Amino acid sequence: MEVEDIKAYIESGILELYVLGDVTRDERLQVEAMAAKHPAVKAELEEIERSMEAYAEHNAVEPAESLRGRVLNSVLTNLGDDSIFDKSGESDKNNIVVLTPAKPGNFYKYAFAACLALLIASGIALINLYNKLQESKSQIAVLQTDRQHFANQVNFVESELGVLRDTTYKFLKLNATPKAPAGAAVSIAWSKQKHKVWVDMASLKMPVNDQAHQYQLWAIVAGKPVDLGVFDSSPDSTGMKEMKTIAAVKTDAFAVTLEPRGGSENPTMDQMMVIGKF
Amino acid sequence: MSKRTKISLSEEELVLALRNREKIAIEALYDMYSSSLYGIISRIITDTPAAEDVLQETFVKIWHSFSGYSAEKGRLFTWMANIARNLAIDKIRSKDFKNQSKNQEIENNVTFIDEQRNTVYKPELMGIKELVGTLKPEQKSILDLVYFKGYTHVEAAEELGVPLGTIKTRLRMALTLLRKHFN
Repeated sequence: MEVEDIKAYIESGILELYVLGDVTRDERLQVEAMAAKHPAVKAELEEIERSMEAYAEHNAVEPAESLRGRVLNSVLTNLGDDSIFDKSGESDKNNIVVLTPAKPGNFYKYAFAACLALLIASGIALINLYNKLQESKSQIAVLQTDRQHFANQVNFVESELGVLRDTTYKFLKLNATPKAPAGAAVSIAWSKQKHKVWVDMASLKMPVNDQAHQYQLWAIVAGKPVDLGVFDSSPDSTGMKEMKTIAAVKTDAFAVTLEPRGGSENPTMDQMMVIGKF
Repeated sequence: MSKRTKISLSEEELVLALRNREKIAIEALYDMYSSSLYGIISRIITDTPAAEDVLQETFVKIWHSFSGYSAEKGRLFTWMANIARNLAIDKIRSKDFKNQSKNQEIENNVTFIDEQRNTVYKPELMGIKELVGTLKPEQKSILDLVYFKGYTHVEAAEELGVPLGTIKTRLRMALTLLRKHFN
């Protein structure tokens, strides 16, 4: 902008109106932009402001002395209130009571607080419910395990009973050899037709074996031992134990030896505990 | 005149104290500017209780909206004077004020106000009175209308029946004459 233009802008009187607050928003922004850009405009504005201030001082009117305390009090007692002080004397003079509409701001504030409280309460209820659900689920799992356990037991007992009812089974008591303590005995059931052998664990009368050894049942078929599996002897053993299937329909004898845990391929003959034949 | 010592601070100190919401700031502000601001208000509102109410509202508003003042955009007094002028204009234009006050015609209180009230004695301002007296009547009336009566320049043009451009020029010339006194 040329110096002449700035001069013309200053001469236009817009700066005076700006200082008096008598300009539109656009004009105000324009004056502020001009002042920021051109020192001459800024200096001119300063001058106008100073002269207007001096003019106001020249035309000053001292307010009543009592007003000082009243004004300062109202400023300092209204510290928390940002709204303009409500004309104090006005309400006494006016008999008209202004009905202020309920503030919507408050309603939303309370509504929001209520919603928040409800949300928190719901959240707590949901967590409680979830915990109870988890508890129920684990209870159901326990019950199912129990049920499975009982079902298994019933099945097992059924099959044991089956052995007793089945007429194809023959029972045989294997008696102690000199190697075993007196009175040692093992009862077995054998079905030729079904190729099955059971050991009656409930009536087992054998010394308790250690962790390194197990008893092994053998069938002697045509003079050769046939492995029928291992079992343990413990004071609380119950029920019947199904051993390996046996293909042969004719046996010389059944015998039990004490073998290293897991059993052996061939029986350790000097550890033969009981033997018996049909 | 008051026996109490008036508090006076530099404009920078005052602005800083106002920003920090110090109690002394509002006291100093009152002591330094209440008469100038009351001069503006009482020329717009001749009813003394109403003018006093507006002065009170002015200080409350200055205090509460002080964050809106920016020193880069102008002098503190200009900002405060505009608040006082706007509140005074709002007051005389409000319905209940019009109803209750026995409003005088504008001409009655513009020119004769100084005879009715005690203006403050300020030695440094001696001479300006004479200077104002040297203003041409049309320059003085435009200054009074716009500066004290709160007329917008558009309203003043209508009131005086002169074109807008003339109003602006007269206002500028009046203020330029006043300024010469300080330069």
